[in-house]
Amino acid sequence: MKIGRLVSLAFLLPLALVLGGGAATAQPAGTLVVGVVAEPVNLDPAQVTDFNSNRVGRRIVEPLLTFAEESTQLVPNLAESWTISPDGLQYTFKLRKGVKFHDGTPFNAAAVKFSIERQINPEHPASKIGKYPFANYFFGNVKAIEAMDEGTVRFVLKEPRASFLVVMAAAAASMVSPAAMMKAGVDFASAPVGTGPFRYTSWTKGQAVVLEKFPDYWKGAPKIERVVYRPIVEDQARLTELLTGTLDLIVGVPADFVAQLESSPKVNLLKQVGAHVWYLGINNTKKPLDDKRVRQALNYAVNKEAIVRDVLKGTGAISRGPVLPGTWGADPSLAAYPYDPARAKKLLADAGYPNGFSTTMWVPESGSGMQSPVAMAIVMQSNLRAVGVNVTLQTMEWGAYIAKLRTREQELFALSWAAGSEDPDMVMYPLFHSSQWSPNGPNRALYKNEKFDALLTEARQVTDQAKRAALYREAQKILVEDAPWVFVDHEIQIAATSKRVQGFKLHPSFDLRVETISLR
Amino acid sequence: MGRFLARRLLHLGPVLLGVSVIVFLVLHLAPGDPAEVMLGANANKEDLDRLRVQLGLDQPLHVQYLTWIGHVARGDLGRSIWMKRPVLGEVLERFKATLVLTGTALFLSTLGGITLGIVSATRANSLLDRCSAVASLFGASMPVFWLGIVLMVIFSLWLGWLPASGMYAPYGGGGLRDLLAHLVLPAVTLAAASITIIARLTRATMLETLGQDYVRTARAKGLGERMVVWRHALKNALIPIVTVVGVQAGYLLGGAVLTETVFAWPGVGTLVVQGILARDVPLVQGGVLVIALSFVLVNLAVDTLYAWLDPRIKFQ
Repeated sequence: MKIGRLVSLAFLLPLALVLGGGAATAQPAGTLVVGVVAEPVNLDPAQVTDFNSNRVGRRIVEPLLTFAEESTQLVPNLAESWTISPDGLQYTFKLRKGVKFHDGTPFNAAAVKFSIERQINPEHPASKIGKYPFANYFFGNVKAIEAMDEGTVRFVLKEPRASFLVVMAAAAASMVSPAAMMKAGVDFASAPVGTGPFRYTSWTKGQAVVLEKFPDYWKGAPKIERVVYRPIVEDQARLTELLTGTLDLIVGVPADFVAQLESSPKVNLLKQVGAHVWYLGINNTKKPLDDKRVRQALNYAVNKEAIVRDVLKGTGAISRGPVLPGTWGADPSLAAYPYDPARAKKLLADAGYPNGFSTTMWVPESGSGMQSPVAMAIVMQSNLRAVGVNVTLQTMEWGAYIAKLRTREQELFALSWAAGSEDPDMVMYPLFHSSQWSPNGPNRALYKNEKFDALLTEARQVTDQAKRAALYREAQKILVEDAPWVFVDHEIQIAATSKRVQGFKLHPSFDLRVETISLR
Repeated sequence: MGRFLARRLLHLGPVLLGVSVIVFLVLHLAPGDPAEVMLGANANKEDLDRLRVQLGLDQPLHVQYLTWIGHVARGDLGRSIWMKRPVLGEVLERFKATLVLTGTALFLSTLGGITLGIVSATRANSLLDRCSAVASLFGASMPVFWLGIVLMVIFSLWLGWLPASGMYAPYGGGGLRDLLAHLVLPAVTLAAASITIIARLTRATMLETLGQDYVRTARAKGLGERMVVWRHALKNALIPIVTVVGVQAGYLLGGAVLTETVFAWPGVGTLVVQGILARDVPLVQGGVLVIALSFVLVNLAVDTLYAWLDPRIKFQ
């Protein structure tokens, strides 16, 4: 009997305690709670490579230039203005005056020099206290950084690169307080000090990162007091927390939940096409894929409308090429390959494969920017089978997948690219220029066209945007004709907010600019 | 007793060393390395090579392992490659949360399982027994992530009784009551399969014990049924039950990985999963060592319990 009573007590006591309390605890006024899909790795944007960490870190530290609202056009930020030497080798930035880091030290030319040099100069005192994964990709072309005076800094490049200003707007080019970094050492990455709208407050591992507003922010303090980022991996949990009012903002809403949220009176749904492209890469050097007609046939065979409509449920925009439509470098006259299986069959027959052929398609199970890779691949597999191309799907875990992709053994492979900017140089050069062949660079389709290469190189050397645009349009025509990939879609990012969130806009760079938010 | 414990504790060293070698090898056998995962599919080779050197990945495998074990011998589990933070602090902080979750789940499943098993055994083939059999089948077959999400939709989204995820409310929480509220769903989810396993085993051993001569004797001399069942029969049926509870403790520590992920519980399981995906060797090693250590300790506790339950068992 005693045990029996003990048992019932043990079960009922916690339940009574809990139910007596009521579940949801509302956050205090001025606090924005954001549900993120994974815990940030660390908060120093020069030391991370994922969207999640950057979305938090970029609130604390900022670059010299930034992107305008809702576009990736460059606007001044910590630099007020800049000049470019006629040979395109020297970029001189005039810095904003009176800006302070969160630790009270002044932002100046020395800080700019420190923030970038720590990444590229192995002798730099801060080089050893950080790991800078994309240093070469972004700043490998920088020969010298000169602090001309307190408010002027000059970057000298090894060779002209017209997209250098875009590089200076990247997260990795954010400005950090030299004093704070030298004091904190390795731990700086967990609690960086910058000039941004919010400053680091606390981090309860696995539970929450808390930032509070920086009252002396040079653009004026944000309207909210603090932001809490809660890592919630499970989609249903994130959604439930939003609908029960314990979260204010979630990103990475799965396609299957969009319809449900659209009809909910409790939330607002936001959509925005991101600077991203999802593609089925084709190994341009392997038979029979080295034949342009075969690659074109694959493009005609894949039903992109069906993928966007049925798999992605409207969270993707059909791709016509690598450059985001509607941006300055895009060619408006470029048409997407239509779904035309009959034409695909004819092209295959012309190329000498009237009965099709067999090939393999590598697909990651998941991965940053990969949307629903396996479901999308299955649709493509059945599309290709319909024109006689027998595809064997091989799915792999992400880490194993990217290791396999360095082998050059791939035939067809699913991948995506988030340039973080609309500048065509940030997409076309790394992915299609023959100097970037894998494993040295990300050109895993092993595409090479000399005329195309020459256009891209020329477009790097002229700084006039209209001239560059003309060169890129010509290059895109060659690219679509050569069809080194099956161009699939550009991701439409989805966010949902509670009704009390005002003034929030998604950004095509996938950044999450919560500083514009006010709470009702 | 003392010598027994000391000898068993001495065995810990080789066991943990073996675990660390296996984890190290498995992580290196899988394709992909931390530098590759950090840089993603589109990195260039120069950045990749530089990062590999910085992370010490250009060293031969045995050198990497010996360097690591040298640090461990000095009580330093190293820094996470991926988070840049010291592994020991990170793992211990997360392990507290895992312990709370698995401890509660173990408590629920032991208490619930034994009670259910006894009730089923004493009323064998009754309606209650059959319901319990069906419930057991259900509980043992439902995947944790499915059950977790169903409970979350019912109790958080529809009824609004319990919070959906996390360990504490980010604001206005922090107390015991807040912790318990957050604990109910994940603990019940995690315990579900174990409850049914313990219940079925308890039922079987109790049925066997209740058929023994001494139970008939106890009844014959006029002892109350409760006394017979709970005192005489249960204590003798406990040995296999304690064994299975020990096994379940290990299962719960492992199963916590999924439950923690579903409910955003800040435990060591989610940390290790993230570590594996990032090929973060020091982090995974640290997490697995802590879990292995606790599993070995649980087994030791079970062995000690045997002797307490049955004086005929001697410590060897």
